[in-house]
Amino acid sequence: MVKVLLFGRLGELDSRGSISIELGDSIQTVADIRKLLSEENPILGKALAEPQNLIALNQNIVNADHNLSAGDELAFLPPVTGG
Amino acid sequence: MPEVLVSESDFNVGEEYQKLCVDLPGAGAVVTFVGRVRDLNEGNEIATLELQHYPGMTETLIQEIIDQAKERWDIDRTRVIHRVGPLQPADQIVFVGVASAHRKEAFAAAEFIMDYLKTKATFWKKESSGSDAKWLEMKDSDRAATERWQDDT
Repeated sequence: MVKVLLFGRLGELDSRGSISIELGDSIQTVADIRKLLSEENPILGKALAEPQNLIALNQNIVNADHNLSAGDELAFLPPVTGG
Repeated sequence: MPEVLVSESDFNVGEEYQKLCVDLPGAGAVVTFVGRVRDLNEGNEIATLELQHYPGMTETLIQEIIDQAKERWDIDRTRVIHRVGPLQPADQIVFVGVASAHRKEAFAAAEFIMDYLKTKATFWKKESSGSDAKWLEMKDSDRAATERWQDDT
């Protein structure tokens, strides 16, 4: 299982409090998970596809082609607005 | 004292200033900056500002920003506090304190840390006024402020 976290406005586009996704033949990379989430929820999919978002895998920034392992924590980060 | 604190609790600037100075007789310059919640943002009256963050990653990223500042300037001690959760206008959001031998380094490092906090640390602000609520967008001016430091390396 991979735990998926959605921050900022992305979080409000999914009604589930937390998302866990089972890895498999068709779900091996960050991009695969993004595709699956988009198929389930096109509005979320459109927001996730925006190029200014960052992707964090176990709290390190990665690219969408990165491979996933069971137990990973995957987070989608829209542009930050702290300070 | 940890250099980074992310907390729902408010902070006391006087106490933070004292902690920055402890056992640093050579620190002739201490700069402290406080960011507060404005009552107006782009013409909208703000009732509540909700700050979300990514626990763990946020602290790591802020520490990286502080470490970069220490590489660039000769600074003796740094403290960054960032609040999360619901905040109201006039509440304190962020504290940056830098102690250094000389003011130039202290001012520059504090400004660098603030500019990077705004564009690199994993915080997200949601603004509510009346029945309207919206997540804020990163400002071009903040992006430009961070890029400025990359130009003059």
